[in-house]
Amino acid sequence: MSAPYRQDMPPPGGFQQIRYKRNLPFRGPSGAVILAGVTAFCGYGFYRIGLGNLEKRELQRERVWSRIHLVPLLLAEGDRDAYRRQHAALEREKEIMKDVPGWEAGKSVYHNPRYRPADTMVVL
Amino acid sequence: MSTVYHKPDTADQPYRDPTPLPTDLPKVAELGTTSAPLKSAAFFIGAYCKDYNDDFMLCKAENRDPAHCLKEGRRVTRCAQDLISKMRENCLEQFKAHWNCLEHNNQEYHYCRKPERTLNKCMFEKLGLVKTIPGIPEGKTPIHDVKDPIYGHVQK
Repeated sequence: MSAPYRQDMPPPGGFQQIRYKRNLPFRGPSGAVILAGVTAFCGYGFYRIGLGNLEKRELQRERVWSRIHLVPLLLAEGDRDAYRRQHAALEREKEIMKDVPGWEAGKSVYHNPRYRPADTMVVL
Repeated sequence: MSTVYHKPDTADQPYRDPTPLPTDLPKVAELGTTSAPLKSAAFFIGAYCKDYNDDFMLCKAENRDPAHCLKEGRRVTRCAQDLISKMRENCLEQFKAHWNCLEHNNQEYHYCRKPERTLNKCMFEKLGLVKTIPGIPEGKTPIHDVKDPIYGHVQK
């Protein structure tokens, strides 16, 4: 008893494709894309820093000019006080040295008419 | 002439200056304004008292002796006093708001743009004084008029 001869054949429609390719999941954007993205991001940041530096410069200019406008006022007030102290020091010197003959009160030790601020100050 | 220091708040007598200014000089009351109001008013002082300030500084350039420029100095102080009293008459509320803001923000202008703008507006309308910062690069908005600055309370 023998089975009738039958040639073994592929299934109708052929075999399935052999899956030889690696089946890896998508791992995110490529290195080049990330690099480009980070560069763009940093570039924008640096651009803002540049704008901020320009703004800082303007803020500094504003600050400086606000002070420059006040300088005459503060200097005038300080000058009046300095003049008052000078005057008081002279009076004091006259009072202390009144018994010394030939003493010139307020005479500078330098032979120079240029103004020198007092080296010492009496806080009163 | 006493050299003992008495604290003014606990002294039994009012403070008397032992060495006042010579009486032959015209009297001028010192401004007595503290730093924040001065900073708030600085650009208006610069605009309003420009002639007196320039005159005084030119005089100081001639000679640094404090006795040399007393007259010009008195003019400077009187002018500033005039301006401060005018500001107080016309824009007291805005002025107060601005210098209080400066007082609470380390005296930095860029934290106080809102009260500053109302003050600038009031000063322009009432006294015709404009805040101008010299030396701004050409074609740029002055920093106090920039709409959306990077440096403010929140750094952007």
